[in-house]
Formats: sequence, C-alpha cells, structure tokens
Amino acid sequence: MNNLQTHYLYPSAIYISRKPFYITTILGSCIAVCLWDKKLKFGGMNHYMLPFWNGLGLASPKYGNIAIEKLIERMLFNGSKKENLIAKVFGGGEIIANQSELFNIGKRNIDIAKTILAEKNIPIIGSSVGGILGRKIWFNTENSEVILKYIKKTKK
Amino acid sequence: MKTSNKELLEELKKNLSLTEKQQLQIDNLNEKLRLVNEKLKESESLKSHFISNITNEIINPFASILGLSKNIIALDDDKINNAKSMAKLIFSEAFHLDFQLINIFAAAKIEAGTNIPEIVNTDINQLIKTVIDAFAYDSEKKKIDIKFDSLISSEMKKTFYFKTDPEKLQIILKNLVSNSINYSPESNKIEIKAWIENEDLNISVTDHGKGISESDKKLIFDRFKQLDSCISSINKGYGLGLSVTKSLIDILEGKIDIQSNINQGTIVIITIPEGESLSDDIAFNGNEFLFESEEVF
Repeated sequence: MNNLQTHYLYPSAIYISRKPFYITTILGSCIAVCLWDKKLKFGGMNHYMLPFWNGLGLASPKYGNIAIEKLIERMLFNGSKKENLIAKVFGGGEIIANQSELFNIGKRNIDIAKTILAEKNIPIIGSSVGGILGRKIWFNTENSEVILKYIKKTKK
Repeated sequence: MKTSNKELLEELKKNLSLTEKQQLQIDNLNEKLRLVNEKLKESESLKSHFISNITNEIINPFASILGLSKNIIALDDDKINNAKSMAKLIFSEAFHLDFQLINIFAAAKIEAGTNIPEIVNTDINQLIKTVIDAFAYDSEKKKIDIKFDSLISSEMKKTFYFKTDPEKLQIILKNLVSNSINYSPESNKIEIKAWIENEDLNISVTDHGKGISESDKKLIFDRFKQLDSCISSINKGYGLGLSVTKSLIDILEGKIDIQSNINQGTIVIITIPEGESLSDDIAFNGNEFLFESEEVF
C-alpha cells in the first residue's frame, strides 16, 4: 500500500473525501457500500448494521436504507453526477449462525444494498458478500481499488 | 399424449395451495407496509410539531435573556444588588437553551453519520461532578438533593481514568440527570452511582419520580416523543434527549437498561466498555485538556 492517509470508519458512520484516502473498516454481518465517481475520481463509504430504519429513534446511517441514500446524497453534494457513480459492496457475513430466516441479518443487509443500488441505476462492479467470515477492507478513494482481508473473529 | 383427469386435478390442487400460500405472504407484507405507513404519517406530524416547538423554545429564551440583560444595563447604581437575581435567571435560560442546542446538534450529527467516538483518558468522577454542578441551579430550585456515590475512587484511592469519549458521555449523563430532575417531585433526591464491573464502566441514575409504565418504555427512545405531551406540560425539551442518548450509547458500544415502577421511581443504568485510545491526552471533562509540558510564547 502506498502512503495515503487512512480514515477508520466506525459503524453507523459515513465518510467522503475529495482528497485521496484509504477508508478502512471491519465488517461482520454489517455492510459497507463504496461509491466512486469515475469522472471526478473520488469516493465515499458507509457502514450500516441493519437493513431498515424501523421508524423509532434517530434516522441514522446505522440502517441500510438511510445509509445508502445519504451516501449517494453526499456524493452528489460533492459534485458527482449520478450516472458517473459505480459501487462496490462488502460484508453481510453470517458470523453468528442463525436458524431463523428472520434473523438472517447478513443476507437482508446484502439484499437492501442490491435493491437500492439497482433502483438508482448505480452498477455494482465488484463485491464480496455473504459467507461465514468477517472482513477488513481498505478502500482507496483515488482509484476505487479495494483491498480485502478475511478475518476469523469479529465482534460486529 | 394424454394426461389423465386425476393427474390434472392433482396439478390444479398443487397450484391452488401454492397460490394460497403466496396470498398469505402478500397479506403479511401488506400488513407490515401499513404499519410502516402509519409510522411515517405519525413521524411527519411530529416533525411539523417539532419545528413549531423549536421556534418557540429558542425564541422565547432569547427574548427573556435580551430583556433581562437590558434591565441590568439600565439598573441604577444603588440597585446593583438586584443584578444577581437577574443574572441567575439569565443563566437558567441560557443553560437550557445551550443544553437543547447540544442535543439538536448531536442528533443532526448522528443522522448525518459524522458522529464518531473520540476516545481519551477520562476522569469519570470529575466528569460526573461537572454534570451535577451544571444542574445545581435546577436541582436547587426544585429542592432536589443529588447524591453521588463513586465506588471507583474508593477502590482505587487515586484518580481513576477510563478510556472513553468524554463529550458523548457528558451529553448522555446530562440527559439522564435532566430527565430525573424533570420527572421528580419537589424536595426529593436523586442518586448517582458509578462502578466498574467486568472492566466495563457502569453508571446508574436513580430517581423517586412518577416512573414509566411497561408499555411506555418502548416509546421513550422515539425521537420527538414526549410521554407527557399535553400543551400544559411543565416538562421542558423536545423529547429528543433519550433518542440522542440511545444513539450515543450505541456509538460507544454500550447498553442502557431502564427499571421502573409507576409512582416509585426509575433506575437507569448505562454500561460502557472501555474504548481504544488513539492518543494519550487526558480530559478532566468534555472541555478541558491537560498537557504535561508547559510552554510560554
């Protein structure tokens, strides 16, 4: 890796920079959507934990539907045009084995990302989702490259 | 090729039962959709209510602050002693305004996804004392005695530092203490305890107010929700406090537990794990930092 500055992205947060950065985060059943502008060559990332905001509490990017909308909004605010955006999606593993379909958070998190991005016509050009392992990723916002490492144990 | 009537019938039956199953699923989804829809409607009306509330509650305190300071400026020299009581009122108005604005900005930052933990070594006892001091005027006015019992210092016999985000912890505690004062009857007491259990920091705030019913417990973390929402409500604030508190505790990866009995009071316990420090600065409370070396320019 070259000498880019690194920003650690916490769960429920969003980070966007017009300057080149490594945005890094650790994912279990959470999802990180990386958006990149292929014209202006910059990007941003979110890290959400649950698929839908339940209407209670604050409408924070802890929830997929809000986190993805907000990330797109912020990209547009920073000068992007929607047709220049591409996406990469990571995470959504089933770290804790669950029998019930209802608690299948990883899978439901993946579904919401695919649904919303398809709705907005933003192509997913790369992804690594599902499985039983956690992931650590580094998103290079200069060239959209994502480095991924699988990790065995995670608390998220 | 000829299919027997029996086979056809079987096929039809199979299709029918599948359709029934799908219909059931659709009904199920529709019901969920209806509930979300109701939530949205409710949320929208609460939001407009919130904006009119906010206008009143920001403009009114400012009006009294401006009026009172004008009166102090206009005081004759021999009546300068009156300034003290007026300054107290100004302080009270400004304090609540400041507190509400902090909550509003914290909520905005959480919703924008830009509120991240900033972990430093924090003197927990000092931080709790700072919060109690901040509400001294309020508690005095209602004759409420706030007792702070720290098990941390007695165990350690020296200043105890815990790695956490002091600014967020302070907002959390301010909201808990403010709620306890608001919902306590006059001449009562509030107890605050702090202790370490399994390396996690625990802080409890106990009041002897009117308590929260089991069904209301689900609602209290709603944004803009106040249980006592009638117009004549004597309780200040926008109902934003506890939803901010909950989200901030989430950011610190902690837990909040509420035990309450109607008319007997409420115990709120927060549990926060130690964070990972990125720097070695020491914070006494949310605002002050101590640096070891002295430098004069």
